[in-house]
Amino acid sequence: MSFQNTTSNLDYNHPIRSPSTVMKLDRLGSFHQSRLSFTRRLIDDLKYQKSKIEIYQWDIDNSGIGSAIIKLALKKETLSLVIFCHSINDEERTDRVIAEKWDMTFSLFKGIPNKNELNQLSKNLIIQESGRHNSKQLTLSRANKSQRIFEKVLNDLSIGKQPSEKLINDVGYLVRTTAVYGNGKFGIEDFSKTNGHIFLQKPFQAEMLTVYLVRYFSIELINFLAKKKGGKKSVILSKHLTKHLGVGNATGLGMAPFLVNHQELIHQWIYNRETAISRVFSIKRLNKKTQNKIINYIHQAFKYSLQWKVDDKLQSKKIEKLNSDLKKILQNEELTKLLNFDYPIKRFFNFFKDDITLETQEMLNSIFIEPFPELLEDLINNMGAEEKKSVFISYTVNDILDIIKDNFNWAIKIDTSKPEENYCFWYTSQTKLEPRLGITKKDAGIEKQLPFDIAHQIKQAVNTLNKLPSNMTAAEVMINHPELRNIIKRVIINKSMPYSEIQNNLIGKDMRPIDILRCKLSFFGASKFDPKSNLWTRITLFQGAPLPNELWKKNINDWLFPNLSNV
Amino acid sequence: MISVSLNEIYSETYKALRSVNIEWSLAKDSANKAKWLVQHGQNFLGSILKTADLYQKKEITISINENTNKKPLASALIGLLLVEYVSANKITWEGYIDNSKFLLAAMGIIAEEQQINLILENEQKEIIAFTKEKKIYVNSNLDTKVTSYSYLKTYDYIEEKNTKFTSFKKNKEVTNLNDKCWERLKSMAFETYVPESETSKSGAGY
Repeated sequence: MSFQNTTSNLDYNHPIRSPSTVMKLDRLGSFHQSRLSFTRRLIDDLKYQKSKIEIYQWDIDNSGIGSAIIKLALKKETLSLVIFCHSINDEERTDRVIAEKWDMTFSLFKGIPNKNELNQLSKNLIIQESGRHNSKQLTLSRANKSQRIFEKVLNDLSIGKQPSEKLINDVGYLVRTTAVYGNGKFGIEDFSKTNGHIFLQKPFQAEMLTVYLVRYFSIELINFLAKKKGGKKSVILSKHLTKHLGVGNATGLGMAPFLVNHQELIHQWIYNRETAISRVFSIKRLNKKTQNKIINYIHQAFKYSLQWKVDDKLQSKKIEKLNSDLKKILQNEELTKLLNFDYPIKRFFNFFKDDITLETQEMLNSIFIEPFPELLEDLINNMGAEEKKSVFISYTVNDILDIIKDNFNWAIKIDTSKPEENYCFWYTSQTKLEPRLGITKKDAGIEKQLPFDIAHQIKQAVNTLNKLPSNMTAAEVMINHPELRNIIKRVIINKSMPYSEIQNNLIGKDMRPIDILRCKLSFFGASKFDPKSNLWTRITLFQGAPLPNELWKKNINDWLFPNLSNV
Repeated sequence: MISVSLNEIYSETYKALRSVNIEWSLAKDSANKAKWLVQHGQNFLGSILKTADLYQKKEITISINENTNKKPLASALIGLLLVEYVSANKITWEGYIDNSKFLLAAMGIIAEEQQINLILENEQKEIIAFTKEKKIYVNSNLDTKVTSYSYLKTYDYIEEKNTKFTSFKKNKEVTNLNDKCWERLKSMAFETYVPESETSKSGAGY
């Protein structure tokens, strides 16, 4: 064990950071993957389940077209990833959710599909959202081959050569998903119906499992095709390159409303993360082994930052600064001394925090919690939340105004009459029903905007509430002013779940949706954020993660900030 | 018939109601009640379509004070607010209510989430339903579909007499709905979507 007598070593409770510090988009948009991320938890769960992953059916031809089934045997149930590979032209291969054709389509299936079920899947998976799906399907997904790398890797392997490490590192994946739908979308199984399936009832477990199996499939596929193409000359991808391949994902605004619509869940994720940070800040002493671990993680993060290349100018600058911050930390002569003091992690962070960027601060926070899985177990296993449909009845006008005063000062401060605070609006587009941002003064459709103008709604509520008797119940206010129900419900939830609200104007000119996406993706466990604009990003999932045949190994879930040593 | 998920029921229902300008929160409350009904083996779809229709024709109201036999309170829309109001203010509400099965859903929801004991009676003061310890019990002899004059209140003690009450059973089966009605709901939901503008496409990876 890397850390001994954890409980006795916590003789003080470091205060958890306040929502006003954490719930700002610039900080949320600086989060990195951590021990709490869902990809990490999935690997732990797969290991605990003594999972066996194998190819159950393989009907792929020499050109990579056909179908396959990957079987996952868990302790008490069997799941499978059903895969169809299609032939598409290069110009039809687009990242965006609006695409109509894909190289591969997938579904995570309960059990193994029979012939009829497979037949149904073959007709419906290919058309994704336009198909009709059933309750044995847990997810619905699709992916494209990376045009930058897939053919090159295939050619290299077929002539007996390993692909360049730089190429593998620069791209990081062979295939890139453009959507992974779960929770009842298009007729698939509802998340709420996974009760009783211990393995599946954690948030996004089915989606993450799908991606993990897609990664396995992509590697099996390239090795298979290389052999078909090169015959005896061919080689399979080396283990260390294989491990450095994840699955790419292109994510746009579709993900953003989730954090606004699921207050309880976002609170739970962020509160748990902050609790984890406060716990490690409360540790009194670190033994030498753990000190070294932390320093090693910083070295790892430094190498990762050197290998994190993006085209986006702003993100490039952030990475550059991250790199120089980490270098400065590693070169600081006080480093070892700091970790030897009482409350070393707190001291370490406070020593550097004023001179480093948010990007570096949040990377350090991911590093700090990494060596202490035993200290976080309850948090890791409690990332779900029950969402209430009713509003708690015990609140009065006075209570609501008090909560607004205490928790929504950020909203009160915004001058909602200014044009820049009414710059854009969120709507659901007719194209694939995806959320989009319109420009208020330019685009049609504001009358159909989604209710994400939280600051504006707060002000409207205050105006009305100030005119009502202070002891009137919130329920009476809402039944007489149904237009305030949405915001009063949010305010009441925020009282007990203070990390449930992003503290920025989501329709303001300064708002960067990419920050919302990154926050959510960090909880998924994404790495190598590669923004393509303020509205969408590419990421990599499971880069550096153990392969299915390694899941039994000790300390296998130790893959924070993966990098290749020879790049 | 078409099989649909609970998630689809929720999202298509609230969007459909938004298309007839029903407040966001009321539309979402309705969608939650619809989901609850489905989870308890009850139909919802025809009633939701009818509610949207009556709301547009102004033949139902969301006012707890100004309801009449001809213009009853829309329990599909206001049911959850009503049970919260009665529970918070500990009052007896009385009035005309449309399609009270949505009120039963609201009572069921608040019982599950806040364990509040509520009782719903008809004009003859017969118990239509009551909640107790997270569950709702319904008088199976009374029709809840029609408009009726009703009383809703909290209670400390209830005398069940000889009436037979049954609790709704959780439905774990796949939900099959009339496909024409479902398509109508979906086409209403579609009305809430906006054609994508060129500005919103720019930078979004097109």
